[in-house]
Amino acid sequence: MTGQTVAVVSRRFGAYEVPADRVLHFPEGLIGFPGARRFALLDSTRPGSPFRRLLCLDDPELGFVVCDPASLWPGYAAALPPYEGGAENLAVLALVTIPQKPMEMTANLMAPLVVDPRTRVGRQLVLDTGRLSTRHPILPPGEPAATR
Amino acid sequence: MLVLTRKLGEVIRVGDAVTVRILEVKGNQVRLGVEAPPEVRIYREEVYRAIRKENEEAALREPGSLDEASAAWQSRRDKS
Repeated sequence: MTGQTVAVVSRRFGAYEVPADRVLHFPEGLIGFPGARRFALLDSTRPGSPFRRLLCLDDPELGFVVCDPASLWPGYAAALPPYEGGAENLAVLALVTIPQKPMEMTANLMAPLVVDPRTRVGRQLVLDTGRLSTRHPILPPGEPAATR
Repeated sequence: MLVLTRKLGEVIRVGDAVTVRILEVKGNQVRLGVEAPPEVRIYREEVYRAIRKENEEAALREPGSLDEASAAWQSRRDKS
Protein backbone atom coordinates (compact mmCIF):
# COMPACT_ATOMS: atom_id res chain seq x y z
CA MET A 1 0.00 0.00 0.00
CA THR A 2 1.18 3.47 -0.79
CA GLY A 3 0.22 5.07 2.49
CA GLN A 4 -1.78 7.73 0.68
CA THR A 5 -4.55 9.41 2.58
CA VAL A 6 -7.69 11.25 1.62
CA ALA A 7 -8.03 14.50 3.52
CA VAL A 8 -11.54 15.81 4.14
CA VAL A 9 -12.62 19.15 5.54
CA SER A 10 -16.21 19.25 6.73
CA ARG A 11 -18.04 22.07 8.45
CA ARG A 12 -20.21 19.52 10.19
CA PHE A 13 -17.75 16.79 11.06
CA GLY A 14 -14.45 18.66 11.22
CA ALA A 15 -11.26 17.83 9.35
CA TYR A 16 -10.15 14.22 9.15
CA GLU A 17 -7.94 11.94 7.08
CA VAL A 18 -8.64 8.45 5.81
CA PRO A 19 -6.01 6.05 4.47
CA ALA A 20 -6.83 5.54 0.79
CA ASP A 21 -6.89 1.78 1.26
CA ARG A 22 -9.59 2.10 3.93
CA VAL A 23 -12.07 3.98 1.75
CA LEU A 24 -15.33 2.14 1.08
CA HIS A 25 -16.70 2.40 -2.45
CA PHE A 26 -20.41 2.38 -3.27
CA PRO A 27 -20.48 2.62 -7.09
CA GLU A 28 -24.26 3.13 -7.13
CA GLY A 29 -24.31 5.54 -4.19
CA LEU A 30 -27.08 5.12 -1.65
CA ILE A 31 -30.77 5.24 -2.49
CA GLY A 32 -31.62 8.92 -2.73
CA PHE A 33 -27.91 9.84 -2.67
CA PRO A 34 -26.63 8.60 -6.03
CA GLY A 35 -23.49 10.75 -5.86
CA ALA A 36 -22.43 9.48 -2.43
CA ARG A 37 -19.93 6.86 -3.57
CA ARG A 38 -16.91 6.98 -1.29
CA PHE A 39 -17.19 6.63 2.47
CA ALA A 40 -15.00 6.43 5.54
CA LEU A 41 -16.08 4.25 8.46
CA LEU A 42 -14.91 5.77 11.73
CA ASP A 43 -15.10 4.09 15.12
CA SER A 44 -17.00 5.63 17.98
CA THR A 45 -14.88 7.49 20.50
CA ARG A 46 -16.85 5.73 23.25
CA PRO A 47 -15.56 2.27 24.07
CA GLY A 48 -18.25 -0.38 23.93
CA SER A 49 -20.56 1.62 21.70
CA PRO A 50 -22.14 -0.46 18.93
CA PHE A 51 -22.30 2.62 16.72
CA ARG A 52 -19.88 3.94 14.17
CA ARG A 53 -19.84 6.92 11.92
CA LEU A 54 -20.04 6.57 8.13
CA LEU A 55 -18.90 9.79 6.52
CA CYS A 56 -19.16 10.58 2.83
CA LEU A 57 -16.00 11.71 1.08
CA ASP A 58 -17.88 12.97 -1.97
CA ASP A 59 -20.16 15.19 0.10
CA PRO A 60 -18.26 16.17 3.27
CA GLU A 61 -21.44 17.39 4.96
CA LEU A 62 -23.16 14.02 4.54
CA GLY A 63 -22.69 11.48 7.29
CA PHE A 64 -24.56 8.66 8.98
CA VAL A 65 -24.46 6.62 12.14
CA VAL A 66 -24.36 2.89 11.48
CA CYS A 67 -24.41 -0.27 13.55
CA ASP A 68 -23.71 -3.94 12.94
CA PRO A 69 -27.24 -5.35 12.85
CA ALA A 70 -26.11 -8.90 13.62
CA SER A 71 -24.65 -7.76 16.94
CA LEU A 72 -27.99 -6.28 18.00
CA TRP A 73 -30.32 -8.86 16.43
CA PRO A 74 -28.84 -12.35 16.36
CA GLY A 75 -30.10 -14.17 13.29
CA TYR A 76 -30.26 -11.09 11.13
CA ALA A 77 -27.61 -12.52 8.82
CA ALA A 78 -30.12 -15.19 7.81
CA ALA A 79 -32.24 -12.44 6.24
CA LEU A 80 -29.52 -11.63 3.74
CA PRO A 81 -29.58 -13.17 0.27
CA PRO A 82 -26.90 -15.72 -0.58
CA TYR A 83 -23.60 -14.18 -1.49
CA GLU A 84 -21.06 -15.95 -3.66
CA GLY A 85 -18.14 -14.89 -1.49
CA GLY A 86 -19.82 -16.38 1.58
CA ALA A 87 -22.22 -14.30 3.63
CA GLU A 88 -20.02 -14.64 6.72
CA ASN A 89 -17.37 -12.62 4.89
CA LEU A 90 -19.63 -9.66 4.20
CA ALA A 91 -19.54 -6.61 6.39
CA VAL A 92 -23.13 -5.55 7.05
CA LEU A 93 -24.09 -2.11 8.33
CA ALA A 94 -27.51 -0.78 9.19
CA LEU A 95 -28.17 2.94 8.92
CA VAL A 96 -29.35 4.40 12.22
CA THR A 97 -31.91 7.20 12.39
CA ILE A 98 -31.49 9.32 15.52
CA PRO A 99 -34.53 11.49 16.22
CA GLN A 100 -34.81 14.39 18.65
CA LYS A 101 -35.19 11.85 21.44
CA PRO A 102 -32.18 9.56 20.94
CA MET A 103 -33.83 6.82 23.02
CA GLU A 104 -36.24 6.39 20.10
CA MET A 105 -33.50 5.73 17.57
CA THR A 106 -34.16 3.11 14.92
CA ALA A 107 -32.17 0.99 12.49
CA ASN A 108 -33.04 0.43 8.86
CA LEU A 109 -33.07 -3.35 8.64
CA MET A 110 -34.87 -3.40 5.29
CA ALA A 111 -32.05 -1.68 3.43
CA PRO A 112 -28.67 -2.61 4.94
CA LEU A 113 -25.34 -1.67 3.45
CA VAL A 114 -23.23 -4.68 2.55
CA VAL A 115 -19.52 -4.40 1.86
CA ASP A 116 -17.14 -7.02 0.57
CA PRO A 117 -14.12 -6.49 2.84
CA ARG A 118 -11.69 -7.80 0.23
CA THR A 119 -12.60 -5.22 -2.40
CA ARG A 120 -14.16 -2.61 -0.06
CA VAL A 121 -16.97 -2.30 -2.60
CA GLY A 122 -20.49 -2.19 -1.27
CA ARG A 123 -24.06 -1.35 -2.01
CA GLN A 124 -27.36 -0.80 -0.31
CA LEU A 125 -29.52 -3.90 -0.47
CA VAL A 126 -33.31 -3.84 -0.41
CA LEU A 127 -34.79 -6.78 1.50
CA ASP A 128 -38.39 -6.46 0.37
CA THR A 129 -39.67 -9.49 2.24
CA GLY A 130 -42.36 -7.74 4.24
CA ARG A 131 -40.73 -8.81 7.51
CA LEU A 132 -38.06 -6.17 7.94
CA SER A 133 -38.67 -2.55 8.85
CA THR A 134 -36.94 0.64 7.78
CA ARG A 135 -37.50 1.80 11.38
CA HIS A 136 -36.68 -1.04 13.72
CA PRO A 137 -36.39 0.21 17.33
CA ILE A 138 -32.86 -0.20 18.70
CA LEU A 139 -33.61 0.22 22.40
CA PRO A 140 -36.40 -1.71 24.06
CA PRO A 141 -39.27 0.53 25.12
CA GLY A 142 -39.03 1.51 28.75
CA GLU A 143 -39.23 4.43 31.06
CA PRO A 144 -37.37 7.51 29.88
CA ALA A 145 -33.73 7.62 30.88
CA ALA A 146 -33.03 9.48 34.07
CA THR A 147 -31.89 13.04 33.53
CA ARG A 148 -28.15 13.00 33.50
CA MET B 1 -46.30 9.29 -20.47
CA LEU B 2 -46.27 6.48 -22.98
CA VAL B 3 -49.42 4.37 -22.62
CA LEU B 4 -49.58 0.87 -24.10
CA THR B 5 -52.34 -1.74 -24.01
CA ARG B 6 -51.23 -5.34 -23.50
CA LYS B 7 -53.02 -8.68 -23.27
CA LEU B 8 -52.26 -11.45 -20.78
CA GLY B 9 -48.89 -13.00 -21.57
CA GLU B 10 -47.76 -10.12 -23.74
CA VAL B 11 -44.53 -8.27 -23.12
CA ILE B 12 -43.16 -4.75 -23.06
CA ARG B 13 -39.47 -4.29 -23.70
CA VAL B 14 -37.60 -1.36 -22.15
CA GLY B 15 -34.31 -0.82 -23.92
CA ASP B 16 -32.37 -3.88 -25.05
CA ALA B 17 -32.18 -5.73 -21.77
CA VAL B 18 -35.39 -5.26 -19.80
CA THR B 19 -38.72 -7.01 -20.40
CA VAL B 20 -41.98 -6.79 -18.48
CA ARG B 21 -44.55 -9.55 -19.01
CA ILE B 22 -48.20 -9.48 -17.95
CA LEU B 23 -48.53 -12.75 -15.99
CA GLU B 24 -51.94 -12.49 -14.38
CA VAL B 25 -54.82 -10.07 -14.10
CA LYS B 26 -57.21 -10.57 -11.20
CA GLY B 27 -59.63 -7.82 -10.25
CA ASN B 28 -57.59 -4.70 -9.60
CA GLN B 29 -54.32 -6.64 -9.26
CA VAL B 30 -51.81 -7.29 -12.01
CA ARG B 31 -48.86 -9.65 -11.68
CA LEU B 32 -45.84 -8.62 -13.70
CA GLY B 33 -42.75 -10.61 -14.54
CA VAL B 34 -39.69 -8.41 -14.96
CA GLU B 35 -36.47 -9.69 -16.50
CA ALA B 36 -33.46 -7.42 -16.31
CA PRO B 37 -29.70 -7.64 -15.86
CA PRO B 38 -28.58 -7.72 -12.22
CA GLU B 39 -27.27 -4.15 -12.32
CA VAL B 40 -30.78 -2.89 -13.04
CA ARG B 41 -32.40 -2.48 -9.61
CA ILE B 42 -36.10 -3.21 -9.47
CA TYR B 43 -38.15 -1.96 -6.55
CA ARG B 44 -41.79 -1.58 -5.75
CA GLU B 45 -42.27 2.16 -5.81
CA GLU B 46 -43.51 2.50 -2.22
CA VAL B 47 -40.53 0.49 -0.95
CA TYR B 48 -38.09 2.65 -2.89
CA ARG B 49 -39.71 5.82 -1.52
CA ALA B 50 -39.69 4.52 2.06
CA ILE B 51 -35.99 3.70 1.87
CA ARG B 52 -35.08 6.99 0.23
CA LYS B 53 -37.01 8.86 2.90
CA GLU B 54 -35.36 6.87 5.69
CA ASN B 55 -31.90 7.45 4.20
CA GLU B 56 -32.62 11.17 4.15
CA GLU B 57 -33.77 11.11 7.76
CA ALA B 58 -30.74 9.07 8.80
CA ALA B 59 -28.37 11.68 7.35
CA LEU B 60 -26.82 13.36 10.35
CA ARG B 61 -27.73 16.95 11.09
CA GLU B 62 -25.72 17.15 14.30
CA PRO B 63 -22.21 15.77 14.57
CA GLY B 64 -22.92 14.96 18.23
CA SER B 65 -25.70 12.49 17.41
CA LEU B 66 -23.31 9.55 17.57
CA ASP B 67 -22.41 10.38 21.15
CA GLU B 68 -26.08 10.82 22.02
CA ALA B 69 -26.84 7.43 20.54
CA SER B 70 -23.95 5.84 22.41
CA ALA B 71 -25.07 7.49 25.66
CA ALA B 72 -28.64 6.30 25.17
CA TRP B 73 -27.40 2.80 24.47
CA GLN B 74 -25.15 2.82 27.52
CA SER B 75 -27.80 4.15 29.89
CA ARG B 76 -30.36 1.57 28.80
CA ARG B 77 -27.83 -1.24 29.06
CA ASP B 78 -26.70 -0.17 32.51
CA LYS B 79 -30.30 -0.48 33.69
CA SER B 80 -30.89 -3.98 32.39
